[in-house]
Amino acid sequence: MKQSQSPLKNTFFKTLLCLLFIYMLGHLSPFLPASSNSIFTNLSFQTLAYAQDDEEEDEDEEDEDEEGEAEEEDLSYLTDIGPAADHEFEEFSFLGMSNRKFTWAAAQLHILFASFILGCPMFVVIMEVMGARRTQGVRKAIILSNVFLAVLIGVVIGITGEIIIGIHHGVLYGLWACAFGALIVSFLNYFHRLMNIRASAFVGAVFGTLIAMPLTPVEHYEVSAIILALINGAVGGLLSNGIMFAQADFKFERLAHEITKVIGICYSFTALTGGLFLFVMLVAYKDFITYLISSFPMLFMVAYPTLFILETVIMYIYVYSWDPLNKANKKGRHIVTGIMLNVFGLTLLMALDGPATFMQAPTKPLADLLTMSEWDKITTSIWMPLNYHRLVGNGTFGGYMVCIIGAYMYLWSDKKEEREYYDWVGYIGNLIGVAIMIPLPAMGYIFVAEIYRYDATIGMYIMSDRESMFMLVQGLLVGTMFSASNIYMWVSMKRIENAERFFPAMKFGFVLIVISATIWFTPRRFFATMLPEPGMDPNMVLPDNLAFLALMVSKNTAAFCLVTVTFINYIFYTIATKTGKVHYGKINPLGPYVLIFLGFSDIWLMSWMGTIRELSRMNWHIYKVFKDVTPEKFAPSLAESGFHVTMIVWLFFILMTAIIWIGIKYPKTKKKEIEPTQASPQMAE
Amino acid sequence: MKIDIIIIGVIAGLSGLFALYGTFGIIGAGAGFAVMVTYALLLKIKPKKVEEKTLFQNIRFKLPVIAVLAGIIWVLAGKFNFPVWWQIEFVAFAFVGFAFFTLLDWKTLKLEKSHFDWIKRILATYALASGIFIGVTAQLPQFDPEIELAKLNKPPVKLAGLAGPEVIAAGREVFENNKCFNCHKVFWEGNSDRGPNLGTKQIGLYTEDYIKDQILNPRRNQAPGFEDKKSKKAMPTYYGDDLSEDELSALISFLKTLRDPTHMPVEGKFPNQWTWWDDKDAIAEGKLVFEGTHPQTEGLLCAVCHGKDGIPMMTGALDFRNENNPDTTKIEGDHTDKLLKDWPDALWYRRVTRGIPETPMAAWGMIFPHLYLWKAEAYARTFHDPLDKRTAKRPVPPVPTKEEIESWKTKGLFLDPLL
Repeated sequence: MKQSQSPLKNTFFKTLLCLLFIYMLGHLSPFLPASSNSIFTNLSFQTLAYAQDDEEEDEDEEDEDEEGEAEEEDLSYLTDIGPAADHEFEEFSFLGMSNRKFTWAAAQLHILFASFILGCPMFVVIMEVMGARRTQGVRKAIILSNVFLAVLIGVVIGITGEIIIGIHHGVLYGLWACAFGALIVSFLNYFHRLMNIRASAFVGAVFGTLIAMPLTPVEHYEVSAIILALINGAVGGLLSNGIMFAQADFKFERLAHEITKVIGICYSFTALTGGLFLFVMLVAYKDFITYLISSFPMLFMVAYPTLFILETVIMYIYVYSWDPLNKANKKGRHIVTGIMLNVFGLTLLMALDGPATFMQAPTKPLADLLTMSEWDKITTSIWMPLNYHRLVGNGTFGGYMVCIIGAYMYLWSDKKEEREYYDWVGYIGNLIGVAIMIPLPAMGYIFVAEIYRYDATIGMYIMSDRESMFMLVQGLLVGTMFSASNIYMWVSMKRIENAERFFPAMKFGFVLIVISATIWFTPRRFFATMLPEPGMDPNMVLPDNLAFLALMVSKNTAAFCLVTVTFINYIFYTIATKTGKVHYGKINPLGPYVLIFLGFSDIWLMSWMGTIRELSRMNWHIYKVFKDVTPEKFAPSLAESGFHVTMIVWLFFILMTAIIWIGIKYPKTKKKEIEPTQASPQMAE
Repeated sequence: MKIDIIIIGVIAGLSGLFALYGTFGIIGAGAGFAVMVTYALLLKIKPKKVEEKTLFQNIRFKLPVIAVLAGIIWVLAGKFNFPVWWQIEFVAFAFVGFAFFTLLDWKTLKLEKSHFDWIKRILATYALASGIFIGVTAQLPQFDPEIELAKLNKPPVKLAGLAGPEVIAAGREVFENNKCFNCHKVFWEGNSDRGPNLGTKQIGLYTEDYIKDQILNPRRNQAPGFEDKKSKKAMPTYYGDDLSEDELSALISFLKTLRDPTHMPVEGKFPNQWTWWDDKDAIAEGKLVFEGTHPQTEGLLCAVCHGKDGIPMMTGALDFRNENNPDTTKIEGDHTDKLLKDWPDALWYRRVTRGIPETPMAAWGMIFPHLYLWKAEAYARTFHDPLDKRTAKRPVPPVPTKEEIESWKTKGLFLDPLL
């Protein structure tokens, strides 16, 4: 059986590789002669284009000199495009929607679907690992997946240490220590179980730190940096050991496979909404989108399509090779494909963050913008902070989408086993969502701090001026999400035996949560602008001696408290699941609805923060480079924005509900119908 | 394994306490410790079987407790001078807490019997979330987008053809549009103390060149009291690129109007502020002015009449050593009964800037920059109230109100007619 399949598969992969090669050759080769430098060192094709224009102009001038005062020939027929030249821009309006609102909706939907397809694969591949039997091939793949996970975790811990404690190059210490800690421990444990969990933490910490130190370019080693590296190395070692020897749980495999089916459909929607976004931009903001795309010729003509196509191909391979590779006992290869999918996905995310951050904080000096290389334009000062923020944000988003999938499927299931399973899915989704959400405020803080550093006016517009009330709503949403997560834990714990012993302490934590949410919500003033405008009450300002309640020190303390209480509750929850029997499938029906509420809040918050970021450019498409001169260059009111965002989120949820039905529920219904005739088990389900 | 968890727990707990101590001092660490002890005690409570409650059983204690608590919060917030909106917010959150705890003890929902049940519940969940978010965004304070649009549609500042008051008004607009209010109050206006209050600091006393340099190179001279690391980096350095020449000129014209003829300039970051009466640097510079050695006030020599050591050199000159000296009676219609030690700032300023007719005490305010006259006054006071013998600083005056500022103009307290 195996032998008969191999040639076919090899042919398939070879053909695929050939097609890819031809595609890349065809698309890259026209550019190669254009520059004497390597394409990787000089991406500035726009600069070349300008240089060519200049040369042409010079030649024209020379010709004119030679001809002297010869009569000029009318060459306008060469550039006259016909009656279309008289076309004038008009503001478009339809059913209360405007140019901006169309663009807003299309962009937001695109980002939501994109977040799903970039966020979910990160933990899908880890779940797949958790669900796979530890064959030799799988263990090989686990070395790679451990390093991948360690890179993500190392970056998050490192950047948090860099910003909160002020450790120079904390992100590099975190990344290298965690990655190498994971690599060494995974490798040493590959052949047989060489180390227990403590030894793994120790080896990871020591060797991760020893490798991270020379790789991090600093003049002096600080104690705090070494402690950070040790912690990261230990985390890498612990994770590697834990994952390498975890008992394979088939539930994870099933969950990963189900989410992958949804990812496949969402991929199409990402492309659809991306196309919609581009079309809308071409109608509504033609000049701007032309300028933006032409500012990144290499990115938009070569890198982006190449990455997108590669990611699409790998995604389809990942989705459709799941069962065949399982049956062929080649799970390790499938896991490696999943990691490749993530690597391409994250590269794509980072590539498109370039133009997004260029719009917000174009690389200075602005006078050099025309001669600046494309790479310099991509790597703005806020590029990496946005990459970190989106990486973590997408993870959180993915976690809460799993909650929604779990909740929907729980409600749509009538079998006991199914209900037990989807109850567990909800638990896992919440676990992922909350765990990744905990460092999210730090990532947001890093991003906004960098914006302040770039141009404080943008920061002030967000925090103190027309977007101050928008930020207040953000505080409310974060408080709501933490509260909902805790309510879910409470409801879940009621179905665990002997969990009552934690309830008094948890209730005390809930009091702290309400107090923290109150502080987070407390504004400096109850009017929506920096200075009161006509119709606003100028007395609605906190007196100076109470202003500390609205300052960052209070907000940070409130955030710390929210995170800590949630973390403590999670510890209680975990202890309860380990020490008492969990009656999966018997959750209070309130639980799934809390999860749906939580998912809705998360997606609403994500859309809201996108709105805040976009509006913070004020009347600029590209801050201080390309002005918005359309009639809608002002910030819409809070009420209008709130309503519009809600409508977008509704649209997304309607689509997602349909996708979950089509991707997971419908195939089950079909399978049930033909079950009597097809008895052979599927390994992946 | 258990010992690992205990060690990690202890390290995490101590780190948390240390962080709280670093941020809030002993109170923060104490509060953190109290929370930890409370958690420990609550975990020791013998578990009670959770019982299903009806709605009435659920709220019969919670509601009265929260009602009392809301009342206490309302009164306490009022006592602490929280404006009414904050009182409403705190009470509203008390009821949010009530809803939270009611939900925790909510009776277990019945299982869905039909598709209609879960459709109904899902829609209710979405409606609840949407209702909260739409409701909150609609009810929070709003701005009128038309006002921003009007601002954006305004032509850029061009000073050609503008007269004094119009230039000042244009400068204020520049100040506002560049969000200077975010960090700087101007007397009563604005709501942040990140940077100095340019009104009470009286930035208008300084020269145009100094103000311009402070805008373009904000990190060259740090305002007293704002020397901390955060404040040093707070003022952006890009205004030189952002502002046109006309905008900068207009802005400086506006800032030059920020003076207070009734109070000594105030320095420092709230709440650690002081006036120049207690500022040793200002007093030291005032001594140079008083003794006629300050390069910026060449020709002004207070000591020639009042004496270098405070012993008057001329008959009739005010003896600053005697704190019980009365005010002059030589100005018709302008006399106070206050003794020298009780002179308000406005009187010091008035006597020095406007002088005393028919005496050698000229209207120095017409000749010399007022910046130095205030400093000379701060020094003169030390003759009867030496700096090293003071037990407390003079109180920082309340920030002038809008009405007071208007009255300075109507009463003609400024020498400059433009103001």
